[in-house]
Amino acid sequence: MTQYGRTVAESMQHRRPDHQIMSRLLPLLALVATLSVPLAVKAEEVPNTLCTGCHNEDGNSTAPEFPKLAGLDSAYITKQITDFKKYKRVSEIMGPMAAQIPDADVPKLAAYFSKQKRTTGTVGVVTDARLASLGQQIYDDGIVNSAVPACAGCHGEKGEGTDLFPRLAGQHTVYILTQLNNFKNIVRNNDAKKVMRAIASRMTDQEMKAAAEYITSIKGE
Amino acid sequence: MRALLIFALALLPTYQVVAADAAAPVTIGTKGYVWNKLTPERAEVLRKTADAARGQEAFRGCRGCHKQDAFGRVDGTYPRLTGQHASVIVKQLTDIRAGLRLNPKMEPFISTDAVSVDEIADIAAYLSTLTTIKENGKGPGDQVRVGETLYTQKGCIKCHGSRGEGNGDKLYPALAAQHYSYLLREMEMIRTMARGNSHPDMVVALRDLSPAEMEALADYLARLPDRRQAK
Repeated sequence: MTQYGRTVAESMQHRRPDHQIMSRLLPLLALVATLSVPLAVKAEEVPNTLCTGCHNEDGNSTAPEFPKLAGLDSAYITKQITDFKKYKRVSEIMGPMAAQIPDADVPKLAAYFSKQKRTTGTVGVVTDARLASLGQQIYDDGIVNSAVPACAGCHGEKGEGTDLFPRLAGQHTVYILTQLNNFKNIVRNNDAKKVMRAIASRMTDQEMKAAAEYITSIKGE
Repeated sequence: MRALLIFALALLPTYQVVAADAAAPVTIGTKGYVWNKLTPERAEVLRKTADAARGQEAFRGCRGCHKQDAFGRVDGTYPRLTGQHASVIVKQLTDIRAGLRLNPKMEPFISTDAVSVDEIADIAAYLSTLTTIKENGKGPGDQVRVGETLYTQKGCIKCHGSRGEGNGDKLYPALAAQHYSYLLREMEMIRTMARGNSHPDMVVALRDLSPAEMEALADYLARLPDRRQAK
């Protein structure tokens, strides 16, 4: 664990402040934005535009606090929206939002976002390579000393997920970290089998951060 | 209302008996311990019609530790499950759930929340279909002869068989080609009665072995060929 601690501390020193990264990336971002306009999914295809303000038309949110929905299994999306509606998954933001989604729209939204292609990374954030490589070990092989199973066991070797286990590949680090902490602190308790609560409770902050960094960088299939 | 109250009171003593049973599993070293006692849940599993395809799906939740091919880890952190008798798999899983085999690492992943009774039957059926045979974890290799002698001398051979193949009907596990470090760890837990659900004869057989003898025995077993190859 101390070995992980050093890795984090060292890697943090090499990290540029966010604004510095942003100022370097802005011209590039502008270019990407211009190029991607014709490719963007048309807004009218989205079954309910309530979602797109935060999650974007193609389900790849750019704000790291909001999860990417693109490529999640439709059954998984349906379960989460339904849980938000019933406050089985509690979120100050998503609770009231989900309440505004008509029941009939839920399967349509789930189908729509499940078909979108998931992007990798978080815009404006550079993946911490050293932390991500520790994260890959955790993802592929688990943590032996604290009996943390490999993420790959359920979520797939490429983070592709299933109907029960969400797609992780490319998801925002910030979002993954929040969810892991929520499971650990039992703020989130809608994992039907309590398995994620058990796993997160065995992970340190640094291990969670490392796993999250790696997950963001996975390209998926 | 009064009828309801009487009904509730009538239930109360029964409930307390059940709760007391659940709170104190009769593990090895406890009065009245029977190593192969058919627990109600195991009986239920054995009545199920198992489905290997469903088992493969249910096994997904196990792969994080036991790996895709159920071969565990060669460092022995997690045992290989392939090649084990289905009856033994069912006994160990239901014993962990009943609090008879003490395994806090695994407990959340085999709890009744995580795995249903049907899934236990299905997983055992699925594991029996796996045929992969790979290199398992082995010991230093210089004391294998000592291990072989001990295997006969200590009577291990009587139950676990001349090739370490065990006996599914009698719930004796196959030991051949299991990972060395896992064998060693479990032998240590069995003789100190920390494993909870072992055969009392196992404690007697292992009790007086020196650390070097334990290692020799584990290495001998790890180097026996997989029981499916040995036939």
